[in-house]
Amino acid sequence: MSRTVLAVALLATGLVLAAPEAPPPPGTTPPFELPATTVFTLKNGLKVTLVPYGAIPKTHVALALRLGNADEAAHQTGLADLMGKLLLQGTTTKTAVQVAEAAAGLGGELEANVREDETALEIECLGDSTVDAIRLVAEVARTPAFPTAELARLRGDLLRDVAIQRSQPQPLAEEAFARAIYGNHPYGRVLPVAADVEKFSLQQAKQLWTRFAGSDRSHLYVVGRFDPAAVRSAVEEAFGGWHKAKGTPRPKPAPKAGRRVLLLDRPGAVQSTVRFGLPAIPPTSPDYIPLVVTDALLGGSFGSRITANIREKHGYTYSPRSVLGLHPGVGTWLEAADVTTKDTAASVREIVNEIERLRKEPPSADELAGIQKYVAGTFVLRNSSRAGIVTQLRFVDLHGLPADWLRNFVQRVQAVTPADVTRVTRKYLDPQRMTLVVVGDRKAVEDSLKQFGPVKVEPPK
Amino acid sequence: MRILACLSLALTLGCAHSAPPPAEPPSPAPVAAPAPPPAADAAAARFVPPDAKPAFDIPVDAYTLGNGLRVVLSRDTTAAIVTVAVYYHIGFRIEPRNRTGFAHLFEHMMFQGSENLGKLAFIQLVQRNGGILNGSTRFDFTNYYEVVPSNVLETMLWAEADRMRGLKVTQENLTNQQGVVKSEVRVNVLNRPYGGWPWLTVPQLANRNWYNAHNFYGDLGDLDAATLEDVQQFFKTYYAPNNAVLVVSGSFDPAQVKGWISRYFDGIPRAEVPPIPDLTEPRQTEEQWKTVDDKLAQRPALAVAYHMPPRGSPEYWAMALIQQILVAGPDSRMYQELVQKRGLTGEVEGGANLLGNQFDYQGPMLWMAYLFHDASHSPKEIVSAMDAAIEPLRQAPVDAATLERARVKARSAYYSDLDRLFGFGRADLLASLALFDNDAAAVNRIEPSLLAVTPELIQKTAQEWLRPTNRTVVALQPAGGK
Repeated sequence: MSRTVLAVALLATGLVLAAPEAPPPPGTTPPFELPATTVFTLKNGLKVTLVPYGAIPKTHVALALRLGNADEAAHQTGLADLMGKLLLQGTTTKTAVQVAEAAAGLGGELEANVREDETALEIECLGDSTVDAIRLVAEVARTPAFPTAELARLRGDLLRDVAIQRSQPQPLAEEAFARAIYGNHPYGRVLPVAADVEKFSLQQAKQLWTRFAGSDRSHLYVVGRFDPAAVRSAVEEAFGGWHKAKGTPRPKPAPKAGRRVLLLDRPGAVQSTVRFGLPAIPPTSPDYIPLVVTDALLGGSFGSRITANIREKHGYTYSPRSVLGLHPGVGTWLEAADVTTKDTAASVREIVNEIERLRKEPPSADELAGIQKYVAGTFVLRNSSRAGIVTQLRFVDLHGLPADWLRNFVQRVQAVTPADVTRVTRKYLDPQRMTLVVVGDRKAVEDSLKQFGPVKVEPPK
Repeated sequence: MRILACLSLALTLGCAHSAPPPAEPPSPAPVAAPAPPPAADAAAARFVPPDAKPAFDIPVDAYTLGNGLRVVLSRDTTAAIVTVAVYYHIGFRIEPRNRTGFAHLFEHMMFQGSENLGKLAFIQLVQRNGGILNGSTRFDFTNYYEVVPSNVLETMLWAEADRMRGLKVTQENLTNQQGVVKSEVRVNVLNRPYGGWPWLTVPQLANRNWYNAHNFYGDLGDLDAATLEDVQQFFKTYYAPNNAVLVVSGSFDPAQVKGWISRYFDGIPRAEVPPIPDLTEPRQTEEQWKTVDDKLAQRPALAVAYHMPPRGSPEYWAMALIQQILVAGPDSRMYQELVQKRGLTGEVEGGANLLGNQFDYQGPMLWMAYLFHDASHSPKEIVSAMDAAIEPLRQAPVDAATLERARVKARSAYYSDLDRLFGFGRADLLASLALFDNDAAAVNRIEPSLLAVTPELIQKTAQEWLRPTNRTVVALQPAGGK
């Protein structure tokens, strides 16, 4: 369309140019159907989802437990990570080496992936080995050894991880942003503190596991090439006797909006690591899908407005992106970019300009239609791999979304109107309520940041 | 603890939303020493019989257009999506000497406008049709690919043909992308600890031949020096159909796709492509120890790099198994020795070709193992622990259980390579084999070749290629030199 306009303009000036050829239009959109799933619950409350999928003879097995960094007390940030490392150190009948060798013999590697809201014991194995993989996951989940002898070594590993994370500008920016939004809630404590980690005991790590791990707080996902009947009976046999968890409710987060300008000094930095955002909404909100579409249009895709501006027009940055950060019941929106030091304030101004523009004027139907197709298309892609399917199913379960959520997603994306985009931008993305975090060279950027509000220089941790 | 995404992604258009990096050399073609393509010979001498069958068979329909464009079709109807991948036989190794980083900068320019698609229009065309895209610059190729809903296939073929036909870029576009690429170098290398470690750093220290040993991301001054004329000349030199491979894999109708390919690509003229310069590395006969200082790092790191045997040789296949035995996963010998037993580090990573896998390069190549550690353990102590894991492989054939586990892991890892990025991984292997050996069907010999490796071959391979005198040890020292 804009191409047509350009061709007309050129003709009008008398230039003889061939009109650009238009791309051949796409054919009829293929129907998208989610892979068929079988869901059942064991008597002890363990939920199980089986999804036969794909041609490649592999299977993804994931036991997701409602246990994460969100269950850590104050001064325990990172304890769940230590717990995850300890989980892989053997069971009451297998040493760590034996667990590792057993997993390798199935074509996989057992991982304990600890995140803020959940921990998952996961393995991608050869399809023929699915039953054995399920038995191995069950054994590790039900009878972990937590050997004292490994504690000092793993604590040392965690301290090294933390030191490396803290030497990078992006994790520091993430930490400052999360602290500004979530305060003392565990969601506000992103990175462990070395002095805390040094005091972690085996007992603390073990308690975290025994308190929260159990059948009724867990969900087993099996996606790939396997024999469903054999897998079902293996699941019943391996997990049927697992006890329930004790658990305790998590503190409720109270995210705080408001313009704050936080500067972390990194003397001599050639780039500023920028985070600019605010509390938004969780997937359970009726406005969530319109916000997903809005986010993709504003900053969440390569062709988005902010990226077109600060990367493709101005060349300030390489990989700008906006992100919806989600936890059960709460969410954030933020724009993230690493920008050339001298362009720090200009980048933030352009980000604000793009948000303001979308608050004032609805996008054209054409621009919106393109973004809707992008969101719908990438949703299809995200449901087109074993790990992707597990991620989607876990998302629905973590956020307590209705069973037809995935099935209706594309349709709901297509129903978003230009007016919806303006409405949710106005309602949820007010730059005046956004927090700005900059990790960069204080001497070079502090003065220019004052235009966004009083600058608070954060001490290094 | 949250994990930082995107740190290891290098030399691509973009990590956030998938975009490619730049690549291009300036006007004069690189020094044209007679090109000895080691892979051709290696491929000719097959490690397994040509009809060896894998457990998982991949359909391959390969043919060549009149203009020399090699086409590979591979159907997989698991999902209603399709990958279109165009690989050009120009990697960052052979960019011009006064234009380091140009191959990657040029790759970015391929998204800045062609005859019928203006700046950003290519990206919009893919995204607005529900797909993803990226480009990347690697040792031996530069690739451009899209994964899209199957109904958009014709549109993508048209668009790839459009930019194969010619670029229409301005000085403004070039200046803009010079800024973007310099930002990319800053975010991935200059403004972070362990920037470029070890993928960018180690080849510069371990290799002797400039083509393998220069800064592939580019000196910022060299990036600034690039001109629009360099861009057009690089395009003319390397972006010809006879220097490229087109792969379509996924859900499609074979007759229909062949018609489209013919319609859009047949008319693109072939061009004379300069021979690839001499890329060979001399046989290393003395161990090298190197140190790099990192002002931003808080903890030391260490890498060892061995020159790989020639691609396609029996020893090359043995290295794939050795990777499984030594560094892949917590059952591996280095992990057991350095992590589990001695507590020197939390993880050992490594293998051949850190910017891809063992199958998607032409060579020469390094095989690396690397880790982060504490200052309380010296590089010497760590290398001696590595030797405790490596030396037994050189002393005696591996036991049956170790071999069996390595085979299972190698097969499983190969399946994962195929699956990578919504099936893009399959296109990547097919394109590489077609580009380097004109033999895409060789993909079905990967699995049998992995399984044909014997304990004796592993020992023989380790004796020559895991010789201490074939390695470079690189110690990264953090601020303060502790």
